[in-house]
Amino acid sequence: METGRILHVASYAGQIILENGGETYRVEETIAKICQSYGVEVAEGFVTPTGIMASASRTPADVRSVIKRVKHRTVNLDKIARVNELARHNMKHPVGVDEFLQRLHEIDATPPRSLMVVVGAAAVAAAMFTLMFGGTPTDALSAMVIGVVVRWLTAKASGLGINDFFINVMGSAVITLMGLISVWLEVGNNGSLIIIGSLMLLVPGLAITNAIRDTLAGDLVAGVTRGAEAFLIAVSLAAGSGIVIGLWMEWMGGVL
Amino acid sequence: MIVVHALASYMATLCFAVIFNIRGSHKYWAAVGGMLGWVAYQVSLEAGLSQVYSLLPASILFSTWAEVVARRLHTPVTTLIICALIPLVPGSGMYNTMFAVVQGDTHHAIALAATTLGQAGTLAAGVALVSSVTNLVVKVKRRLPL
Repeated sequence: METGRILHVASYAGQIILENGGETYRVEETIAKICQSYGVEVAEGFVTPTGIMASASRTPADVRSVIKRVKHRTVNLDKIARVNELARHNMKHPVGVDEFLQRLHEIDATPPRSLMVVVGAAAVAAAMFTLMFGGTPTDALSAMVIGVVVRWLTAKASGLGINDFFINVMGSAVITLMGLISVWLEVGNNGSLIIIGSLMLLVPGLAITNAIRDTLAGDLVAGVTRGAEAFLIAVSLAAGSGIVIGLWMEWMGGVL
Repeated sequence: MIVVHALASYMATLCFAVIFNIRGSHKYWAAVGGMLGWVAYQVSLEAGLSQVYSLLPASILFSTWAEVVARRLHTPVTTLIICALIPLVPGSGMYNTMFAVVQGDTHHAIALAATTLGQAGTLAAGVALVSSVTNLVVKVKRRLPL
């Protein structure tokens, strides 16, 4: 089997993991694992959160390399688990490269959960977080409505290709405005708890986890990049919320 | 009170597992991890530990759970940790810091920012500790014919 083709398939598997929220060291390991399972012993990947560089060779005269740029990232942990499982299984019981590629295509083409389900889950999550932080049932109800609106808005904005930081600023501004309105209408009792509960939908949990795990795996570049990403998300959430609270204090006098 | 906390954190983590597209029974296991972490955090706070330090027992507990369950389910540990970690992310500290900044209360804002960063750091330290110890245990187990 041709080295270039094997490398191509391996880097495609890596790309799926990276695009769906996997750690960079996992991508590097997966690429090496797949190449080795097809008898390409010398295979290395250098992966950052935004791209993959990999090279493989059987003989010193036949070195192949590939670069993949990852522009769009989402969170789909199911795809990571399935590619991981496929690559591991392939170490013991290798299938043909064509069949392997076809299975990767199948995994990649699996549609995510429908927007309705995700929006519903976000609504319940926001309500639960508000209760956990000490909110009243009416606070939780307000957070539920906010959860629906924010998750729908961020999904649509993401579909339009708007950058993540602007989406976070906008999302947190909408959360804050709706939280303040809910208290103003005397539906909710604790504005800050409603807002914090709903903001939990946007906190950078994935970036924090990957920052920790990449750093531990010795992948310092990716670890620092992910840490910076988490910090920037936190800052953009604070910015969106701060703008709205500042304006509200200016125009409505007082707050919460 | 602790029952409400447990139920709410279980549901919240379960919803996050749905949002992050975890399929099948794995999402219920991830949700139990989120619940364990949050309940441990609340119990530690009740016991009088500081806001920063309370996160250490919490993060150690949920990541140990994630490491053990992930091996049983043959799934990457990350998929469980990402969901279980969410309730403990210091979102309220972040909001309160911002609020103090907008009100012009710089002293309070700096104190809150330090606490929030401390919380994030403690959370990370707990996860890192458990992950490193697990790797060590796995390696030792392989070396020794048990």
